[in-house]
Amino acid sequence: MNTFRKILAAAVACMLLLSACAALAEGETVINFWHHYSAQSAENETLMNVLIPAFEAENPGIKVNAVSHEWAELHDKVLVSANSNALPDVARCDIAWLPEFQKMGILVALDEEMADFADVSGQLLDSAMSTAAIGGHYYALALNTNSKIVFYNTAMLEEAGVAVPATMDEWAEAVKALSGENANGQQVWGWNEPALAGWNICPFIWSFGGALTDPDQTVATGYVNGPQTVKAVETFAALVQAGAITGFNAGDIPMTDGFGTGRYAMMLEGPWKSAELAGAYPDVVYGTAPIPAGEGGSTSVLGGEDIAMFNTANREAAWRFMQFMTGEYAETEMAKCGQIPVNKAALESDTVKNADYAPFIEAIQTARARPTVAAWSEMDNGLQVAMTAIVNGEKTAQEALDELAAQWDELLK
Amino acid sequence: MIQKSRVNRAQLFALLLPGLLVFGMFTVYPIVRLFWMSLCDMRFSSMLTQPFAGLLNYRQVFGDGTFWMVFVNSVVYTLITVPGQMVIGLFIAVLLNGIKRFSVTFRVINYLPVVTSWVIASLVFRYIFNTEGLLNHFLWKVLGVTSGNIRWLDTRWSGLSVAMILGIWKGIGWNMVIFLAALQQVPKDLYEAADIDGCGAWKKFVCVTLPGIRGTILFALIELTIGGFNVFTSIKMITGGKPAHQTDTLLTWMYYKAFSTGQFGYAAALSFVMALSLGLLAIVQFRMMRSREA
Amino acid sequence: MKRMNAARVRAAIIRYLLLAVGTVVFTLPMLYMISTSLRPNGALYEYPPRFFPKPEALTLENYDYILRQSKFYLNFLNSVLVSVSTILLAAAVASAMAFVLGKFKSRGTKTLFAFIIITMIIPGTTMIVPQFELATKLGLVNRLWGLIPFYVAWVIPFSTFMIKGFMENIPGEIMEACWIDGADVWTVYTRVALPLASPALASVSIFNFLTAWEEYPWANTVINDNNRRTLPIAIAGFFGQHQFTQWGYVFAMSVLTLIPVVLIFILCQKFFVQGLTAGSVKG
Repeated sequence: MNTFRKILAAAVACMLLLSACAALAEGETVINFWHHYSAQSAENETLMNVLIPAFEAENPGIKVNAVSHEWAELHDKVLVSANSNALPDVARCDIAWLPEFQKMGILVALDEEMADFADVSGQLLDSAMSTAAIGGHYYALALNTNSKIVFYNTAMLEEAGVAVPATMDEWAEAVKALSGENANGQQVWGWNEPALAGWNICPFIWSFGGALTDPDQTVATGYVNGPQTVKAVETFAALVQAGAITGFNAGDIPMTDGFGTGRYAMMLEGPWKSAELAGAYPDVVYGTAPIPAGEGGSTSVLGGEDIAMFNTANREAAWRFMQFMTGEYAETEMAKCGQIPVNKAALESDTVKNADYAPFIEAIQTARARPTVAAWSEMDNGLQVAMTAIVNGEKTAQEALDELAAQWDELLK
Repeated sequence: MIQKSRVNRAQLFALLLPGLLVFGMFTVYPIVRLFWMSLCDMRFSSMLTQPFAGLLNYRQVFGDGTFWMVFVNSVVYTLITVPGQMVIGLFIAVLLNGIKRFSVTFRVINYLPVVTSWVIASLVFRYIFNTEGLLNHFLWKVLGVTSGNIRWLDTRWSGLSVAMILGIWKGIGWNMVIFLAALQQVPKDLYEAADIDGCGAWKKFVCVTLPGIRGTILFALIELTIGGFNVFTSIKMITGGKPAHQTDTLLTWMYYKAFSTGQFGYAAALSFVMALSLGLLAIVQFRMMRSREA
Repeated sequence: MKRMNAARVRAAIIRYLLLAVGTVVFTLPMLYMISTSLRPNGALYEYPPRFFPKPEALTLENYDYILRQSKFYLNFLNSVLVSVSTILLAAAVASAMAFVLGKFKSRGTKTLFAFIIITMIIPGTTMIVPQFELATKLGLVNRLWGLIPFYVAWVIPFSTFMIKGFMENIPGEIMEACWIDGADVWTVYTRVALPLASPALASVSIFNFLTAWEEYPWANTVINDNNRRTLPIAIAGFFGQHQFTQWGYVFAMSVLTLIPVVLIFILCQKFFVQGLTAGSVKG
């Protein structure tokens, strides 16, 4: 019994000590910042070791508690936290989420509450700031922008005698020609697509001349099940069924690993991929090209993140942090790890000029945004379910997309 | 009995109180609340108002094709893993019961999967069953029993199989230990009587051993059935419900509805149906075993 | 007689053989995990895949990486804190209940006990939605205190059930003697019942430790901050990045997480078996 008491005493002492430590940190303003820079990425290293220390040095009395979530989990955590009063002060949000968050009433209208909003937003690209405008107000600051272009393994294309595809017809041929077996007898795939969501499928639908909804984003029937969309999806699904496209299955080699080890010949990815490949697979030689053009031209998907403030935030400290993150210094630092700046001054800096963003900036010119509606997350889930049924041959493209169109019509009402 | 009157009832109650408080607040209240939530229209957008919705959520659950799919998944998972663990666990227990040396060593090693956490075990299995993983290589290139990589994690039934293999692997040790204890309590003279009657090993097992450990079998059956329907972490880690929720089970689907789409009412109704049916199932299992005994 | 012996020996050999095969199957996944944690990340998609890495490729770099991260120690500490608090609170609360329910039988205590046991039928995760709402109302979201009381509540039924069995075996004469000496309930509980039931407390605590140490769904729901994560969510978070998975790190962290559990299990396996069998044989 004596030993038991000793253990008990020790445990209690430990806990007291720890709560004391926690109490010491009080007295400062802490900003909780949620983001989805992945834990082992260069972006996260920069954030934790360069940007936050710099911000804290500039703003004594404010501490930043950065929390990394996986992309989809960040979205879910924000929704759940909104109902449990546990929202962070600031979050880096995918531009596709803003309408949904705004509709829930959890975002701060910055142009109304921040006196110097015009000055701050004036330093950022108008096109990027438009992603934060909903119903005449601005609910975030643009943080970075991007789009996806084709990465191809130079050696694999040369070996197969395949030219870089410029049209969608060539693309389908190339993807097929690049698939098969390598010298080890391992299967190789012409194309990797890591998921079947809008972010992945939209570039094909748009480049084939299809659409998701009408321009007003009020109806989907006739668009997401229109002939061009169906053709895009059918082409894609046929290549999956022919063993030429993979990556979205639970058992597949992760995208970067597969591309780095010569198992995937091509992929459609964003500017961050260069830094990732340089870190993990420095030996792989690759080139980039715009997404092949179809009837709809070469149309990629517009990506990017905004930095938003939640209505439970410590306004002043949060606003300072947002200004810092969109300022020239932070944007230039992040540019080094593949985040394309939206800060005009940062775009003029040598770092950015020397970085090889030209193809991405070109793609952004013709890229389109996913529907900017509050129901997008739910629509996106429906799209994934439909695409899965199609590529697995459970439904024809027309059947599945007809059902999807009906579902989307309801959601868009 | 006279002495009992000295017992201070207030003190007795004071001893019960902390436990009752914690239990009441964090277990009983949520159960009651769960039932009430299942009758309200609770979504992200209507969290504050929570209007009473009657059986709306239940109608939605039962009218949902995905619910029935994941329901079948959970039932199949339970129907395969429960007997799987019990049969293999009992078999090992019988083997262990007959040996003298290394019994403890074997027992410890066979129990290790049980103490391995679900997160870790699931990740290990995911890695092994990866399409490019060790198992496929072994089956194809070393043994030559397959003619290509099997896409274990990519389809509904193969993905669930991996989770089921994990479930069995992780559960055998527990069954082994409790069956071993039960076997040691079967009276030796029954075996001797069977020997005199000239019974073979199998006959002895069926006529002496099985009836002797009936209570333990019932206990394991109930516990494991609950555990089978409780499967969550392994599915989330191994397939994440892919492709398109086809490998989801009741609880992973419930979790998705609640925490990804915000339909808390739907999730509550699903949970309540589950809790209720498991309670009934346990009673039925109990009755069945008891009536056979009589 | 000789033939009888030969048959016995043969049967024993078969038993050992089968057990050996079983043991290999049981341990292979864990061995593969350890062997993967010892090779460089670049070798993960090597061809052909190997069960054991080439001796010259063996490396501790994954462990080095994990152990250089201050976050790992925080996660570890969180897990220790949560698990230890859970087992201490659960032992205190459940033993008191078990003492009253086991030694002062009345219609009321019997009903209460039956009610507590019935809740064991409900899978814990089904209550996650109302429990999350409760944690929200109590302001426990994103706090370690958001884990501990829920874990304690989860383990109360099983712990009470187990300890009650021991309490019931305390001879009535000892208690009678205490009452005659004028002892009150509290004294009997602390001086007589607790020491006598300490083996049960020990085995219950080991189970509760495992439960709290490995719990994933609830912790993943309630905790947001990296610094407040327990080990299972930390490991799962490591894995979250799907396009580029560093299995070497994941498994190195897993091995480090398993070490305390396996140590405790091996050292206390006597209590373990006691705990398990007490439940099943009575049941």
